Amino acid sequence: MKEFSKEELARYDGRNGFPAYVAYKGKVYDVTGSFLWKDGGHQVLHRAGADLTDALEQAPHDGDVLEKFPIVGTIRHVRTEPS
Amino acid sequence: MAKVAREMVEKSGINVDQLVELLVKNAAAELTTYYYYTILRFNLIGLEGEGIKEIAEAARIEDRNHFEALVPRIYELGGKIPEDMKAFHDASACPPAKLPKDPTDIQAMLKVLVDAERCAVRGYTHVCNLTAGKDHRTYDLSQAILNEEIEHESWFSEFLGEGPSGHFMRRGETSPFVSKFLR
Repeated sequence: MKEFSKEELARYDGRNGFPAYVAYKGKVYDVTGSFLWKDGGHQVLHRAGADLTDALEQAPHDGDVLEKFPIVGTIRHVRTEPS
Repeated sequence: MAKVAREMVEKSGINVDQLVELLVKNAAAELTTYYYYTILRFNLIGLEGEGIKEIAEAARIEDRNHFEALVPRIYELGGKIPEDMKAFHDASACPPAKLPKDPTDIQAMLKVLVDAERCAVRGYTHVCNLTAGKDHRTYDLSQAILNEEIEHESWFSEFLGEGPSGHFMRRGETSPFVSKFLR
């Protein structure tokens, strides 16, 4: 499985023909097919090509909404849980 | 545009352009849901379907009311809705509530209805969180809509066997929370 750096992930922003990938808790998901991620944008405030682990803590849904999307890799800099 | 009203929202720290875009997406979700619910309602037939038809109709009319209530706020804040109806549809904050492949499958129909309402509950919770204590008018409007969306969700959830809704159906007028924005 591919390991993405933050910079590599940023390329997959859903624009200019690139798929839309988002990272969450170390995994990278392909959300290209989602109605809610058209053109790599989600609910105005979020963009694909980024690690959304922190953003999801503020979201009105859990991270499990990502479970229905294919995992395409992992992200190199995993956010550490507070001790 | 309500120039000073917009200024006040800007001064509170809210990105007004982003907020307007979010309101447009939610208005699109309401109008498209009204459209798709029209199709669902016509297909709620038979012994099972008829029992849900009236509630689906109340939700359909209230979603249209939500659209009507949201649009003035969009223009007050200096925004507008797209001239192209297709662009408006595609900008929706929620996926289309399409008729299931088997329109006689009432459980599948209820799943479509409850998923649409859950998307709306999340969306207005988000708008309330963004505007609380900052943009009082958008908050008041979003909270009113949220109240109705939560009731819709609980109605359909009850029919799915997830537990009692805690509510009766509407008695009399629709939109008990949003009607003050429709006068």
